[in-house]
Amino acid sequence: MTLTIGILLILIVGLLLFVFQVRQSEVVVVTTFGKPTRPIKDPGAYFKLPWPIQNVHRFDQRVQNFEDKMNEGLTSDSFNLLSSVYVGWKITDATAFFPKFAGSSKPMAEAERVLERLLGNAKAAVIGKHPLADFLSTDASENRFAQIEQEILDSVRGQVKANNYGIDLEFLRFKRLGLPEAVTQSVFERMTAERQVLINKSQFEGEAEAQKIRSEAESRAVAMIGDAEAEATRIRGRGEAEAAESLAVFQKNPELANFIFKLNALESALREKSTLVFDQNTSPFDLFRGVGTNLVSRPGKTQ
Amino acid sequence: MERNTNRNGLVNMLTLLAVASAALGVARHSNTLAGLVAVIFLGIGALVAVVSWFQMRLEAREAMEKLELDELGRSKDSTLFESKDAEAYPARRSREQFEKYFVPAFTVLLLVAQGIGAWLMWQWLSKPGVNLRLSDSMFAMAIFGVFFLVQFLLGKYAVNLARIENNRLLRPGAGYLLLGAYLSLAVAVGLVLVQAGFERADLYLAYGLTAVLALVAAETLITLILEIYRPRIKGKVERPIYESRLVGLLGSPEGLVTTAAQALDYQFGFKVSETWFYRFLEKALGWLILMQVAALLLSTMFVVINPGEEALLERWGKPVEGRGLLKPGPHLKLPWPIDKVYRYQTEQIQHFLVGSVPEGDKPEPRLVLWTVSHSKEENFLVANRDAIGLSTTNQAGARRTPPVSLLTVSIPVQYQITNLPAWVYNNEDAPSLLQDLATREVTRYLATIDMGHIMGQGRLEASEELVRRIQAAADERSLGAHIISAGLQDLHPPVKVAPDYEKVVGAIQTRQAKILSAQADEIRTNAMSEAVAVGVTNRAAADRTVRVTGTLAQAALFTNQIPAYQAAPSVYLERAYLQAIAGASTNARKYVLLTTNTQDVLTFDLQDRIREDLLNLNVPPPKQ
Repeated sequence: MTLTIGILLILIVGLLLFVFQVRQSEVVVVTTFGKPTRPIKDPGAYFKLPWPIQNVHRFDQRVQNFEDKMNEGLTSDSFNLLSSVYVGWKITDATAFFPKFAGSSKPMAEAERVLERLLGNAKAAVIGKHPLADFLSTDASENRFAQIEQEILDSVRGQVKANNYGIDLEFLRFKRLGLPEAVTQSVFERMTAERQVLINKSQFEGEAEAQKIRSEAESRAVAMIGDAEAEATRIRGRGEAEAAESLAVFQKNPELANFIFKLNALESALREKSTLVFDQNTSPFDLFRGVGTNLVSRPGKTQ
Repeated sequence: MERNTNRNGLVNMLTLLAVASAALGVARHSNTLAGLVAVIFLGIGALVAVVSWFQMRLEAREAMEKLELDELGRSKDSTLFESKDAEAYPARRSREQFEKYFVPAFTVLLLVAQGIGAWLMWQWLSKPGVNLRLSDSMFAMAIFGVFFLVQFLLGKYAVNLARIENNRLLRPGAGYLLLGAYLSLAVAVGLVLVQAGFERADLYLAYGLTAVLALVAAETLITLILEIYRPRIKGKVERPIYESRLVGLLGSPEGLVTTAAQALDYQFGFKVSETWFYRFLEKALGWLILMQVAALLLSTMFVVINPGEEALLERWGKPVEGRGLLKPGPHLKLPWPIDKVYRYQTEQIQHFLVGSVPEGDKPEPRLVLWTVSHSKEENFLVANRDAIGLSTTNQAGARRTPPVSLLTVSIPVQYQITNLPAWVYNNEDAPSLLQDLATREVTRYLATIDMGHIMGQGRLEASEELVRRIQAAADERSLGAHIISAGLQDLHPPVKVAPDYEKVVGAIQTRQAKILSAQADEIRTNAMSEAVAVGVTNRAAADRTVRVTGTLAQAALFTNQIPAYQAAPSVYLERAYLQAIAGASTNARKYVLLTTNTQDVLTFDLQDRIREDLLNLNVPPPKQ
């Protein structure tokens, strides 16, 4: 029994020591006494001599996504711009990659550190060739995002190939754009001022509009009343003309007619507050003549 | 026989030292946490083995010294060698001094090592950033398997030797050797579990082993305290105080079975351990365990993919031809580790945020205002359409730079995995890449859009455009994801300038209010002027009517007055005059001057009284 278990365990241990798997997502470098002897890209089960004769070093061969730090650059029109990019890279040649990075405990992170250094330089150089309007423009046709990304990618890719790092860059994209803190404050002030312009615009435009509406209304009112008065004059004129047709009757006895008109006028004139001073010769006050006058009461006078 | 025991003690010590060193290297290489805790046990075991071997050597020297003295005593005059002086027994004295001073001091050191080791390991394991990612785990599994075999065989031999020869000093090292074997096996099993998909198995095992280390430290402390009060009986063989009973028990689990059998015997009143079933169980236990392991391996041939899930099937790491993608339902596969299945939630709608994210533990506010910070604000650059001529040009002929504004956005992007192999095999971290792609598209889109437009009528259009762009970027990278939505959930100016934006809205409202007020005045003016106009024309029409009818009436009256006048001209005129003067002067103030022939000057005050006084009061006549 113990022997069976022992044999089984030895078989399992042997299997584990002599056989290793390579996954679809991996690339493997087998080293013999520390020297890379066999790169394996295809997935499957492979034989190896046990440690410490042969050792298996595994790397992820999928596209790695790496984002650099947000750093400041100067555009060609002297604007300070913060930017960060992300890069897709993958191992293309494990035998070239292994000696350069496998010495580190984290070879992929080490490769990304190297990439970050190359990126920093290339990014600053390319951004310095473009004005801010290439990044920011309300006209989509003027936006040169993709072109700038391609320029940075070409620059870094050239350096990576020249140094034979065993990796290749699949893509490079801007992730964020920003402004330094001091510039941000200034942008806030400008945005506030811009709002103030709009506030004033709304305020005074409103007042002007209101005044315009009122003056137009008043103008229309004056015109309307003027028209009405003109019409009234015309109506009165027509009335006058119609009344004139009856005047011939008065011509039968003009003396009487004028007398009656005078009386009517007198009545109309005296209708409101009037003060009349009569003497004793005016009819009907001539009835007072000789009654209680100073002619009688005044001493020294003869009647 | 004594030399055999010494040699075995030396082998134990060297084995523990070698295994501890090798295990440290392998554990660090493969990053197994449980392996690192096991190394502490092995290191402590090596120290115990060194001390016990040294003590064994002292006892052997003492025995040799005693034999030599006995031999001399028989051959020479015995009186010469009957001295009680300690100098006559240097080996015995060395052993006594060693047991009196060194052993307790070493045990205290052991306690400190166990206690500090347990505390530090627990602290380290509890750190949030502890690395759970194993590397070369198959290799580590194999090596720990070898450690198990070596330690188990040597440990078993040493334990049996110690029992047969009744050598108490061989037990501590043998116990640690056996414990080391079982710990190595446990570490290997932990690695197998991690490979099988239980990612935290190694961590939990490390916690468990650290707890055992703490228990061993507690036992050492109790042993040290009890040692102070233990009665010293001359001639009685003493148990080494650095020997752990707990380690011995863990190193010989069969002892637990024996104890359990004795307990059963006692409980049932007859020898349960002598029944055929118990004996069968005892004999077949190994086979039963093997069958269990075989059943466990067989169970890895069946896999059930749950609804909403999809899985990738790999054989020796390579996607299986035609069956690389498993849909929900039961499936057959070759046993682990030949075929492995990796499950993913593909139907589940997943999401991430671009831009501002909620602030840590803060509860989300019920009322979200632009002017009150409600998230970890992230500002994006936005191009403003230059409506008020703020753009600048640095050089003649250069392109004009639009005014830059900042916009705070929070865009939840929802997606589903539609092509699992592409999602898993093309990119190392597909979710992170998708988030980066989406952030880039948002950054780029906002850099070309007018702020006022996107905050107003362009919001819906922006959302649709972003979905389209993110989907195109994901397809370009063959991510195998379908973008469901990208809603502009939180879109506003930064909190610092947001109040000014609200003031603009207020100013627009005020403007509208002023215009509306003027329109109200306009309506009133128009209506009133119309009324006045109608009044004027109506009055004119009335005047016309009065004029015409009055004249007609006067004419009619005059026609009738002529005969009357002709009948009595003077009387008629006088009558008409008097009637008129009476009627007209009814309300007039009248003064009649009867003194026409005087020289007096009469003065009239014809001024109207503005204010009435008492003299104007009409006093009612007294009642009769």
